Amino acid sequence: MNARRLGLARLGQYAIVLVVAVSLNFALPRLMPGSPLALIAGVEVGEMSPEERAAVTADAGLDQPLVVQYLTYWKSILTLDFGYSFRQGTPIEELVLERVPWTLLLTLTALVVSAVVGIALGAFAAWRRGGAWDVSSLTVMIALESTPQFWLGMLFIALFSVSLGWLPSFGATTAGADLTGLAWLADVAEHAVLPVLTLSILSIPAVYLSMRYSTLSVLGEDYIRTAQAKGLRPRAVMLHHVVRTALLPVTTVLALRLGWAFGGTVVIETVFSYPGLGRLMYDAVSARDYPVMQATFLVFTVAVLLANLLADSLYPRLDPRTRV
Amino acid sequence: MYERRITRAGAPAIGLAAVLALGACGSDDGTEDAGSAGAGGATTAESLRIGIMSEEGNLTPHTYATGFPGLNLTMLSYDSLMQIDENGQPQPWLAETVEGSADGLSYTIGLADGVTWHDGEALTADDVAFSVQYYQAGPPGRFATALGNITQAVAQDESTVVLTLAAPDPSFELRTLADVPILPEHVWSGVADPDVAPFDETTNVGSGPYRLVESDPGVSYSFEANPEYFRGEPKVDELVVVQFADEAGATAALRSGEIDTMMRSVSPEQIDVLRGTGTLDVVEAPEYTTTLLVFDTAVAPFDQAEFRRAVALAVDRQRLVDDVFLGAAVVGNAGWVHPDSPWYDESVETVHDPEEAAGLLDGLGLTDSDSDGIRELDGAPLSFELLVASNNALRMRLAELIGEQLGEVGIDIEVSSVEMQTLDDAVWPGYDVAQGRNYELAMWGWSAPSQADIGQMASLVATDPAIGNLNITGYSDPGTDALAAQLDTELDTTAREQVADELQQRIAEEVPFVSLLHPNGAYGYNPDVFGDWVSITGSGPMTKLSFIPGDGQP
Amino acid sequence: MTTTVSTDPEPGPAAVVRRGRRLRDHTTALGAIGGVIVLVLVTVAVLAPVLAPYDPAERAGTPFSSPSPDHLLGTNDVGQDLLSEMIYGTRVSLTVGIVAAAAAMLIGTVVGLIGGYFPRLGAVAMRGVDVVLILPFLPLLIVLAAYLGRSIVNTVIIIAILIWAPTARVIRAQVLSLANRDYIVAARSMGAGHGYVLWRHVLPKTMLLAIGEFVAATSGAILLESSLSFLGLGDPLQESWGSTLYWAQARGAFLTPAWKWWVLPPGLLIMFSALGFALLGYALEQRINPRLRRS
Repeated sequence: MNARRLGLARLGQYAIVLVVAVSLNFALPRLMPGSPLALIAGVEVGEMSPEERAAVTADAGLDQPLVVQYLTYWKSILTLDFGYSFRQGTPIEELVLERVPWTLLLTLTALVVSAVVGIALGAFAAWRRGGAWDVSSLTVMIALESTPQFWLGMLFIALFSVSLGWLPSFGATTAGADLTGLAWLADVAEHAVLPVLTLSILSIPAVYLSMRYSTLSVLGEDYIRTAQAKGLRPRAVMLHHVVRTALLPVTTVLALRLGWAFGGTVVIETVFSYPGLGRLMYDAVSARDYPVMQATFLVFTVAVLLANLLADSLYPRLDPRTRV
Repeated sequence: MYERRITRAGAPAIGLAAVLALGACGSDDGTEDAGSAGAGGATTAESLRIGIMSEEGNLTPHTYATGFPGLNLTMLSYDSLMQIDENGQPQPWLAETVEGSADGLSYTIGLADGVTWHDGEALTADDVAFSVQYYQAGPPGRFATALGNITQAVAQDESTVVLTLAAPDPSFELRTLADVPILPEHVWSGVADPDVAPFDETTNVGSGPYRLVESDPGVSYSFEANPEYFRGEPKVDELVVVQFADEAGATAALRSGEIDTMMRSVSPEQIDVLRGTGTLDVVEAPEYTTTLLVFDTAVAPFDQAEFRRAVALAVDRQRLVDDVFLGAAVVGNAGWVHPDSPWYDESVETVHDPEEAAGLLDGLGLTDSDSDGIRELDGAPLSFELLVASNNALRMRLAELIGEQLGEVGIDIEVSSVEMQTLDDAVWPGYDVAQGRNYELAMWGWSAPSQADIGQMASLVATDPAIGNLNITGYSDPGTDALAAQLDTELDTTAREQVADELQQRIAEEVPFVSLLHPNGAYGYNPDVFGDWVSITGSGPMTKLSFIPGDGQP
Repeated sequence: MTTTVSTDPEPGPAAVVRRGRRLRDHTTALGAIGGVIVLVLVTVAVLAPVLAPYDPAERAGTPFSSPSPDHLLGTNDVGQDLLSEMIYGTRVSLTVGIVAAAAAMLIGTVVGLIGGYFPRLGAVAMRGVDVVLILPFLPLLIVLAAYLGRSIVNTVIIIAILIWAPTARVIRAQVLSLANRDYIVAARSMGAGHGYVLWRHVLPKTMLLAIGEFVAATSGAILLESSLSFLGLGDPLQESWGSTLYWAQARGAFLTPAWKWWVLPPGLLIMFSALGFALLGYALEQRINPRLRRS
């Protein structure tokens, strides 16, 4: 089979997975107990007459047969017109687009930080394999990987915001402050510190472990040993050959994490009251805001799928040895 | 929704007239001034930052999300014809005079002079007539329901409106006049679909003490004082409302000085903690919010009044208040009505007596024949599942204690925590009591308006879903139904009080549900920033009254 | 759906030997530490009634009390002894972690075996795995919780359903690499049935890997249980470490001095136990097949 046909087949598989997942995203809200009625009708839902209730349900399109709702759902995806939130009466694109930058600010910054730190520490640990630094950093990293996110976040708030008063504990900006220019940037940065710190600390281990492992395998390769035998200085070998080669598999790990960057931060956004996509999803889920749920699920699903696609296609390109 | 807000009658956070001492309780300095109900602290402020914990959406009368704090925030920018005062009584507001005809079918409203909208236009009788028609023609909602009884609204001149009712309604002033925000005709007449009207420079025009100038639903709102407000310039120049994901986050921000107060009662153990900081204080007062133990009365043995009474007798309400709420709650009354309410019937006794409960159970033939500590019903152990919402920590603790207390009289309780919507779906499927119910026992709560208007008592117990729209226990009893129907229509105050008393006694005897307790409202704030709170009996200080100057109060 | 796992470079035999020797030293040490941690926790869980000073359900002291000789870690919001809660919590957390991980291993191994051994069926199965991996976690959780109800058994089932997919992938990759080995091909050509080949040749070679996966998954399951309880989606009425944190948060302990005895211990215990299993899993994984890292 040639590469192009293989690629097409792979794409086809992705398409099938996407269709199934997107369909499940339609089913999930409707499988959940509870109803969005209270949300659509407002808090007086208990006092409405059956006719009013029916009118409200019809208005939201929830009286349609499921098949029709399902087709409408696909139409909304294909036309990228997701309609209005049950709760906010605002177009969903607006809601989502407003939240995406904030989530990305946190997750991408954390991704960069954890990539840099994880790669550096991982490579260093592998270089000093078996030594005190390697063993201790490995243990610390495994311990960090085992830390509950919410717990670390709350401790940070208790320490840095409440006890020391150094950093804001919530939000993305100071509400009502009307800052512009550099002052605004500083404000945003200040608010991002704690969530980014928490996220970074907890994502370093994955990068570290994969970098460390990958470096170890490269160090065992023949050509590296040849280079060492040729009398090149270890540091030069390390920098010029080992790290470069070892970075390749780590790239796929990072690519996968990129997908999670869109929706994987519900807990952090909750702990820090951060107005990101994860919280939009969480709030929509708790209130059964079907259209918002569907839209946020879609963003999440597509992002993860694309990240997988990226990782899949990156790997053979980056690593010449796996080329067929 | 943290609490289910019910509003067949009530305004968001209003209470009925209470003759009792005022809510706003003193802080450390012990100030208790019934006149201004001021707690300690600054009386004016440039800016006040307020935390909220719920998604409120677009703050217009058509799109706000929750009764509290959503509607309270919305009403900062709007006014109704009447306004609830500190005692929970409706008082003239936009309407300077309200004259009801003797048959209760017509109300003549004389508007106050010189009231303007935020954009400078005058507020006239046409706006009032328009508002009535606009809500009635619009999508179903709280205000459409409240105005459902009005057949005609006619502007007689610039400042006089006559409202004609289809049937007399004893709660009309409280339920309608003091509830429905008046809309500017020149703005909304051009909006065909108010449900999706965006926030902009026109839709934020109201007549209230504040104007919403920035709206970022899910994140924050900014209100600016309206210096031209007809009841006087508001005490705080700017209100910044920030949304938090949870109470812990908001409390942390209050502690660190990032916000100055929050529109959510703090958990009881936080009251002393906040006061102990030295910089913060707490306004604490009883509120009408009610926590109940409910059960499906159609299922044996809950279909028997003696059994329900035994359950109520076995529950030690005082212990619930002391152990779970650390005393920051009022013991629930067997007859449902809050002791601070003017409708409260003192003759109704609330008793804890496990021995009598055991006696009643024995009398019903529910005995423990195999001596395992659990009674049997037709050979099967008397064992029930008690549902409780997993997002409500205090209620979960209550459920555990109730389980223990019922266990002592031989009723086995298994507490199950479920997600909130799952609980709603079991207890109140489709929010329509006619759809039945699917639970044995559950922890439940009704919000303050259910106590504020005594007419709501009927909706808790009546068989007919049209009246008993909150009858989630499926309770049905002809005697109670007759009283409920009477309570819903009786215009004469004395006669209505009589009916209310009888209904309370009936509820205490029949136990359609067990009213457990009323958590106190306890709002943390920073007195250095602002502390001149005005509390409404049963509903607390988080309304616009707190920001209206003393001489402008209703 | 990434193929990282199966396309990992194959280091030359010399490298494996060389690195193997070097790695073994600290891998063994770390594995031993992990083993000791797990052993201690299991002992505590088994001996909980002996070790705990109080019944964790008993209202043994004044609510919200600070540590004292009677209550070494103070009491919670209803006066239950926190130390006893920690000790009994070991039982719940370990049980949930181990049982959920075992269930996930079972599902994952079966799907992985089938997926790797029968390529056509495998493609379908793996697409199923992909779907599970990209579904939004939170609503899935609520749907499962709603239909299964809240109980410790259901928490276990929910966690298992949420974490089996990565195991399936790893196992499949291993089976794929085995399926083309000479002796398997030989066995097939000699007329051995699929069942026989799977049972005699494939399963034994993947079993070790599955065990490594299981140990690592236990650590994930313990973390997941605590997050679920903390979000109020588990069963806060169960005495697990996660639910202790839920109550600490619900009753404001994060912002009072009580965080030192109410918040720190359960978090550290979660970390500690997850670490124990993770170290053990790491060591096993390195030993069994150093080329297969979970991504």
